[in-house]
Amino acid sequence: MSEKDSKSTVVESSSVPRNIRARRGAAQSARSNATSRQQPKATGSSRTMMRLYSDDSPGLRVDPVVLMVMCLVFIASVFMLHLFGKLTRG
Amino acid sequence: MKVSTADPSQLKDRLISDISFDYSVFKMRLLEFVKPFMAVIPEIASPDRKVPFNQKLLWTIVTLLIYLVMSQVPLYGIVSSDSSDPLYWMRVIMASNRGTLMELGITPIITSGMIMQLLAGAQLIEVDYSLREDRALFSGAQKLLAMLITFGSATVAVMTGNYGEPKGLGVGICLLLIIQLFVSGLIAILLDELLQKGYGLGSGINLFIAVNICEDIIWKALSPLTINSGRGPEFEGAIIAFFHLMFVRKNKFSALFEALYRSNLPNLTNLVATALVFATVIYLQGFRVEIPVKSARFRGHRASYPVKLFYTSNMPIMLQSALASNIFLVSQLLFNRFPNNFLVGLIGRWEPFEGSSHFVPVSGLVYYMTPPKSFFHSFKDPIQFVFYVIYMVTICALLSRAWLDVSGSGPRDVAKELRDQQTVIAGHRDTSMYKELKRIIPTAATVGGVIIALLSIGADLMGAIGSGTGILLAVTIIFNYFEIFAKEQMEAGNVGLGSL
Repeated sequence: MSEKDSKSTVVESSSVPRNIRARRGAAQSARSNATSRQQPKATGSSRTMMRLYSDDSPGLRVDPVVLMVMCLVFIASVFMLHLFGKLTRG
Repeated sequence: MKVSTADPSQLKDRLISDISFDYSVFKMRLLEFVKPFMAVIPEIASPDRKVPFNQKLLWTIVTLLIYLVMSQVPLYGIVSSDSSDPLYWMRVIMASNRGTLMELGITPIITSGMIMQLLAGAQLIEVDYSLREDRALFSGAQKLLAMLITFGSATVAVMTGNYGEPKGLGVGICLLLIIQLFVSGLIAILLDELLQKGYGLGSGINLFIAVNICEDIIWKALSPLTINSGRGPEFEGAIIAFFHLMFVRKNKFSALFEALYRSNLPNLTNLVATALVFATVIYLQGFRVEIPVKSARFRGHRASYPVKLFYTSNMPIMLQSALASNIFLVSQLLFNRFPNNFLVGLIGRWEPFEGSSHFVPVSGLVYYMTPPKSFFHSFKDPIQFVFYVIYMVTICALLSRAWLDVSGSGPRDVAKELRDQQTVIAGHRDTSMYKELKRIIPTAATVGGVIIALLSIGADLMGAIGSGTGILLAVTIIFNYFEIFAKEQMEAGNVGLGSL
């Protein structure tokens, strides 16, 4: 946590409220995305995969950490189901 | 009076404009249709600053671990998964494992991605990639479609008795199975997005495919399982079996021969062939045409724009196997349903392969689309082999060429890219740049497609582990990862120097 804080102070030393910062970040990323499509790729060849999910869309935001926790919970619950199944059957 | 004479023509004009207007509205609506669902589509929040290399590595490894665990945990509630596997041909490119949480693998992502790209490429959906809203809607639509496909294929897999008769399983277990499949599909979608949004390296799709194939290769090389097939216990892994045979057998020559050529289990030649294909592809990756470019703004600033031989990378083979495996799937389902129909037989007849429950096509169109099982097998039916080679080479060349337009990396796009960068090809005017690129890029794409097809056939003939398609995908992906690593490290180094 402290590490995260120290990093954020290094990157943005101004005391802008978080939501404004986020909005500015989004706008910036949008602009950079609009131009990034025209930037050459270093290899000169096409990207291998489909152009998926390159932008933010106004959806249900999920933090990556939350996603990881959800994955673990899901896997754990499947394990529990297996155990439960074994116990009740046996 | 005046009004009545003027009216018909005006009316006609209005009608025409109305019709054309309606048409454009209809085109727009296909994307607009997604809008109400946008709020419920889960989405990974973009990183608000650039993620450092070490953290990217960490995210990638964690994602990989989750994938690996999920591709080993069996689904809860399965009675049997020994029945014929209709998706057998897809498993390689779809990074899926039978009977586990990764049963669907990345199938939904790839399928929805392809459908949407094709629709957009054919102008059936109008997407203006320069508009942020359109892009968001488009990727939202892709994800929504992927979720629908996940749900649909989960339901179909359970209801068609893939894991045992639905009636025998009971409603509760059926529901549980569908939920498990759906949630793990959703996790796969989100993990892929996590990597693509800049938290990790590369994309989830690529990572999962490569890891799945590498896992297969390592397993076939080092598996410590023993299998008894009448000649005493034998190890499944080729390398382990080699040492085991060399120590146990009295006649070392026959032991060596068996380790090299045993046909029922992975042998050393397969392993050597795999390594050979790896090496060849990596060697060919270096082939490129360097187009000298110079900056129009700064005099004397020269650089080169490399056009690789594998310009479209592994896309032709990926599209080809996606196409083929879908046809295989349909043909097999049709044949199971109507085994005596003439037309269905024309598409393909299926029979169990050498006593196993795994079905292979034995005649019909589909038969000519399956890779030969080994070098000797291609001698047995040379016509099939010739057809297969022609089919593979043509389709890969065509798909590679088509991919240029679909992915927006064709000569026109590259010319625009260079122009926006204010660079021109040395020795060419701004206007003739497109012509020059048009000469080089489609050729590179076509030749690259042909070579990839030939490599895949060669790998199949030599019996490389994990099928030619699989190996080619794995190598190209791993190579891409090396490039990403190099780039990231260079950037990290630059930043480090800059901050000093």
